[in-house]
Amino acid sequence: MAKVLIAETSYLVRKGLVSLLEQTDGVTELKAAGHPDTIVQTLKEFSPDIILLNSAIQMPVTHDKLLSLLHDKARFIYIINTPLPEDSPANHISVFDTKNKLTEKLSHHLRQYESAEEKEETEELTPREKLILKHVALGYTNKEIATKLFISTHTVISHRKNITRKLDIKTVSGLTVYSLINGIIKMEDIQ
Amino acid sequence: MSDLVQSDFELLAVLQRLKIPFGFKEKSIQTICREEGIDLNFFLNLARWYHERDFFPGETLMNHPVKWLVKYLRSTHSCYIEYHIPRIEEEIIRMESLDRSGGHNMQLMLKFFREYISEFTTHIQLEEEKIFPYILSLEENFEKETPDPEFLKTARGYTIKDFLDEHSDIEEKLVDLRNILLKYLAPPSDNCLFTNVLIEIFRLGNDLNDHTILEENVLIPQVIKLERDFHNKFPR
Repeated sequence: MAKVLIAETSYLVRKGLVSLLEQTDGVTELKAAGHPDTIVQTLKEFSPDIILLNSAIQMPVTHDKLLSLLHDKARFIYIINTPLPEDSPANHISVFDTKNKLTEKLSHHLRQYESAEEKEETEELTPREKLILKHVALGYTNKEIATKLFISTHTVISHRKNITRKLDIKTVSGLTVYSLINGIIKMEDIQ
Repeated sequence: MSDLVQSDFELLAVLQRLKIPFGFKEKSIQTICREEGIDLNFFLNLARWYHERDFFPGETLMNHPVKWLVKYLRSTHSCYIEYHIPRIEEEIIRMESLDRSGGHNMQLMLKFFREYISEFTTHIQLEEEKIFPYILSLEENFEKETPDPEFLKTARGYTIKDFLDEHSDIEEKLVDLRNILLKYLAPPSDNCLFTNVLIEIFRLGNDLNDHTILEENVLIPQVIKLERDFHNKFPR
């Protein structure tokens, strides 16, 4: 997941890139700037992970100074106003590139920012969570559940948070309905 | 005015809540607002917000008399209570009657929704019977030379901030209902009906969200300011 800054003077190219990146996975925040001073200002405040910078822009500061404004893992992609040769570096894109070409290159860079923890997290309830859910659905309070299962109230609360996050159900009556539908409790249990 | 509606029919909700009658003919927005006694800017601000979404006219709306907003919120309430909620209830009843699965799932949904209705009604009643009358009297008395002594007594012992504590989240249960229908129930025989119930619940949810935004970001701050001005004007 990356924050992206588009630094491009041309209105058309800027808007085009914005529209393209809005459809691309992995962009969490997107900003665009056209004027060199605004670009420097935005760099400082926004602290982007990826900067798409048109190589023709005369920046008011040196390249080294520019780098010093960024965090260590940030990277530049250069927008070139001419068609690119066959063997151009991976961090060059051209205003002549096709949509497919652009998407391919940008996705390649965005993938570097995928964090490990976001990968593959199961949304299934664990047996423990099911047990907690059963008690919640039966109408027990956190404290009662803690006593019954010999765990701390704190643990019960953290299980409940996970249950709610996984199921997208917040209210107790909602959880009860879920439990009934899925046979975790029976109708007779709550009457 | 008809051009406006044609460009974005969701704005019909705004028209309805401001009680603007149909039959626009070729009249302009300005003419219709004048005829209906609605401030043009108030209307345009609301309409623009409904249409553009990323623009919220909080500050601007706060400069209008609070009674306009209260009137608007009141018609929104009656729209929920008289139309949207009963309609969703009827549709769930119909789904239940069509359910041949032999399970009790639809019955459960109906029970759950009815619980929601009663919570929702209590919430609205609190606003209609306590909060709104208080706000209206506050504004009315603020404009007087000397406030009504009865009201002055109430005002000194109460602030809208107390109400904020009681202001329960009426969306939560609806979101739960939506997620259960969407994620955990196999659709019953009539698929079209099922989809439509979901669409209506989504719509109502979004609308309630707008309603809450107006209450919490315009109405409440505006009343807090009004209370401050009121107490400055009529110190103890």
